[in-house]
Amino acid sequence: MPDMTVFTGERSRQGYRINKLASSLTEPANREAFLADEDAYCRRYGLTDQERQLIAERDWNGIVAAGGNIYLFIKIAATIGSNLVAVGARMRGESVEEFLATRPVNQGP
Amino acid sequence: MGSIVGGIGVSHAPSLARAYDEGLSDHPDWADVFAMFPPAAEWLAGLDPDALVVVYNDHMNRFFFDAYPTFALGVADEYPQADEGWGLRPLPDLVGDSDLGWHLARSLVADEFDPTVCQEMVVDHGVYSVLPFLAEPPWSTPIVPVAVNVIRHPLPTPGRCFRLGQAIARAVASYPDDRRVVVVATGGMSHQLHGPDFGHLAPEWDNQFLDLLERDPSQLCQLDHSDYMQRGGAESVEIIMWLAMRGAVGGSARRLHRAYAAPMLTGYGLISFEPA
Repeated sequence: MPDMTVFTGERSRQGYRINKLASSLTEPANREAFLADEDAYCRRYGLTDQERQLIAERDWNGIVAAGGNIYLFIKIAATIGSNLVAVGARMRGESVEEFLATRPVNQGP
Repeated sequence: MGSIVGGIGVSHAPSLARAYDEGLSDHPDWADVFAMFPPAAEWLAGLDPDALVVVYNDHMNRFFFDAYPTFALGVADEYPQADEGWGLRPLPDLVGDSDLGWHLARSLVADEFDPTVCQEMVVDHGVYSVLPFLAEPPWSTPIVPVAVNVIRHPLPTPGRCFRLGQAIARAVASYPDDRRVVVVATGGMSHQLHGPDFGHLAPEWDNQFLDLLERDPSQLCQLDHSDYMQRGGAESVEIIMWLAMRGAVGGSARRLHRAYAAPMLTGYGLISFEPA
């Protein structure tokens, strides 16, 4: 059984600021503003010191624990030039190469 | 009078969209996934339906958690592509069927399903990642999008999704003019996208789901969300949307296509039905 953090109403309440910031990144102008000054952008969305630190450190597991939803924080990752595989590998504590080696397509017949 | 002439269940993913855009049909990571689609796409082209009702979920590109509908129904004549945070793909906007959309709104509400009725909707990879595999753009077949909350719990039950599909079928059947409609449901299959078990795949369960969807969907309706999540990963619970398609095509529908591959992050499935 996989280890999971179910996205409940309580988590949605807890993660609302981070998720709302991430949601805003569907606008190109907001992505530019985020890239120009990440910390200022995070303050605009009222993130706490701890939440700003999680984003600054790209601590995706910490963001999950803080109520972040993957479908939203992937927008932060994409804005900074990352991608789902890189984010996923990091959450597993692996390099991208290590993670890709676990995939069925790379496991041989 | 309208009729349901087919049903398709198919997985969606942003990476599937990227694979299409980059033309990775021969890439080892993607060859098995690309190979799933042509027989169903050919069948769909032959059916030439008047509209597609597409049951999918919005990944916070049209709706946010300030007001996230359990069910939402599009009644527009066009559905632009959503910018999900990484720019737009070189694909046209979708044509809508406003008349059918409003008819569905009236019929579903009279049937005691109460979707949020949307006169404007942008549509994300829940529709856009699979549509090019089912029909070559530019697309002329109009769609009616039906979005389901499969992300923020509490979620509608699997049985509720099945009954939504039955209600969609009643709505189509009561349409005043001829309309041949295919119901498409997207999402799944096994995948988990967060935490230390990112990348969880469950091919055995995915194939059991396909078996049951064909032969005994009532068993799938009786499972609860935690059963789905524990078997297929937290995000895989979205597979309950396929039950809406199964409800729409009816109990005696004949299964036509079935394909499955799980090379990388997601169990990709495709199944199609033809009503009896």
